[in-house]
Amino acid sequence: MSDDDERGEEYLFKIVIIGDSAVGKSNLLTRYARNEFNPNSKATIGVEFQTQSMVIDGKEVKAQIWDTAGQERFRAVTSAYYRGAVGALVVYDITRSSTFENVGRWLDELNTHSDTTVAKMLIGNKCDLESIRAVSVEEGKSLAESEGLFFMETSALDSTNVKTAFEMVIREIYSNMSRKQLNSDSYKEELSSNRVSLVKNDNEGTKTFSCCSR
Amino acid sequence: MVPLIGSGKFVTMAVVAEDGQPLEESSVENQGWFVKTAITDKRLLQWMLVLSQIGLDVVRTDRYLSFYENESNQARLWDILSIYTWLNPDIGYVQGMNDICSPMIILLEDEADAFWCFERAMRRLRENFRTTATSMGVQTQLGMLSQVIKTVDPRLHQHLEDLDGGEYLFAIRMLMVLFRREFSFLDALYLWELMWAMEYNPNLFGSYEKPENRNNFSEQDPRLLKKYGKFERKYVKSGHNEQHNTLAVFVVASVLETKNKRLLKEAKGLDDVVQILGDIAGNLDARKACKEALKIHEKFLKKANRQ
Repeated sequence: MSDDDERGEEYLFKIVIIGDSAVGKSNLLTRYARNEFNPNSKATIGVEFQTQSMVIDGKEVKAQIWDTAGQERFRAVTSAYYRGAVGALVVYDITRSSTFENVGRWLDELNTHSDTTVAKMLIGNKCDLESIRAVSVEEGKSLAESEGLFFMETSALDSTNVKTAFEMVIREIYSNMSRKQLNSDSYKEELSSNRVSLVKNDNEGTKTFSCCSR
Repeated sequence: MVPLIGSGKFVTMAVVAEDGQPLEESSVENQGWFVKTAITDKRLLQWMLVLSQIGLDVVRTDRYLSFYENESNQARLWDILSIYTWLNPDIGYVQGMNDICSPMIILLEDEADAFWCFERAMRRLRENFRTTATSMGVQTQLGMLSQVIKTVDPRLHQHLEDLDGGEYLFAIRMLMVLFRREFSFLDALYLWELMWAMEYNPNLFGSYEKPENRNNFSEQDPRLLKKYGKFERKYVKSGHNEQHNTLAVFVVASVLETKNKRLLKEAKGLDDVVQILGDIAGNLDARKACKEALKIHEKFLKKANRQ
């Protein structure tokens, strides 16, 4: 345990990983959370999640990362989990251009269902498969630029950039938060506007805003 | 239509674009096969578009089993799922069907037998896989689960509802792939056999041909009653002859009940619920789970009758 959190501050950020089927979402997550890669991993049914912590400014920051099914048919249920997410990794497979072409759809999906500012990163996964690459680094970069996303190519198999990518998103969320807290009036405003937009069963509006200091 | 079917080969890359144009560049990955002319028929296009999805799932189905090291066995799984999808365009292919189909291929050497076995199993399960833009069929069963827990354990139901989990979405996987991910391969088969025996209904086979035959049992012939599976018999006896819950819903309920204390005490958010239920993977006893499920079923029927 870190001895830095004497002020009792702890951050919990909810992050979602989305993208087409078989781009490597689950393995990116297990590589980050447990430093494992499972060559026999199965298709995710519904949603699964893992948590991982890091220290920023001497504070423990916990990321709760939700891994979703990639097949379009699951979107009716997976999109329910976008609520309250403050970070998102949109993943494609550099060896299959169709997964890259679908990034726009995933971004639309995210924008429709999320209820707050989301730190987004575009991830081109499987960069170890250079010999069968179908999407160039430049294409990835320029899409990320035009959509205002961070960008990184990763390999869950050989670990390239995995930790860096997740931590970059977490740091961005953290700095979004700090900025908000500096200006607490607008922070409150956003909180209350979030409450209004939430659909149902939301008795307090507190749980849904997952980056709370508890 | 697709000469690959039955050839021991299959595709993992898209063969057509969404507008029906052939994608020949993926022919290398697709074992040399490609579509030569644009697909205009809507049903055919819909089907062609999903072939690669099936392929992507086939290569990651039960891969820890040596059976699937053999590519021709993977191809058999792909064949059956592809044909099923062609014959059932209203349901199509949804991830998870591969988990249901995989054991049939391992158990039945003949591909046609395996197909029909899968097809019959899907008669019980297919509604779970029916999806629209806003809902998934399995949510009907989740709704039933919600009713069951609300009736037999209102405190737990309230707690889950407070955590915004009243929709029971966290149980989706158990119902869709019938506990294949929670139990080991053999335990899951054992569980399926138990469940299907308990759900046996002498009219079952007739109902496959004509769904309205299912509940033509009105007179309480004790000899016929004996033929029913343990679970099904209770429904017949209690007069609940309408379309009713499957045993699987009660098995999920029994799993929730075994974790009742931890869920009430430790779960402060839906993430905790998922975590606590995640711990069961590999630790479940199929027989016990079924036994508990029957108990919960009885309790549910009693309470439901009183209301």
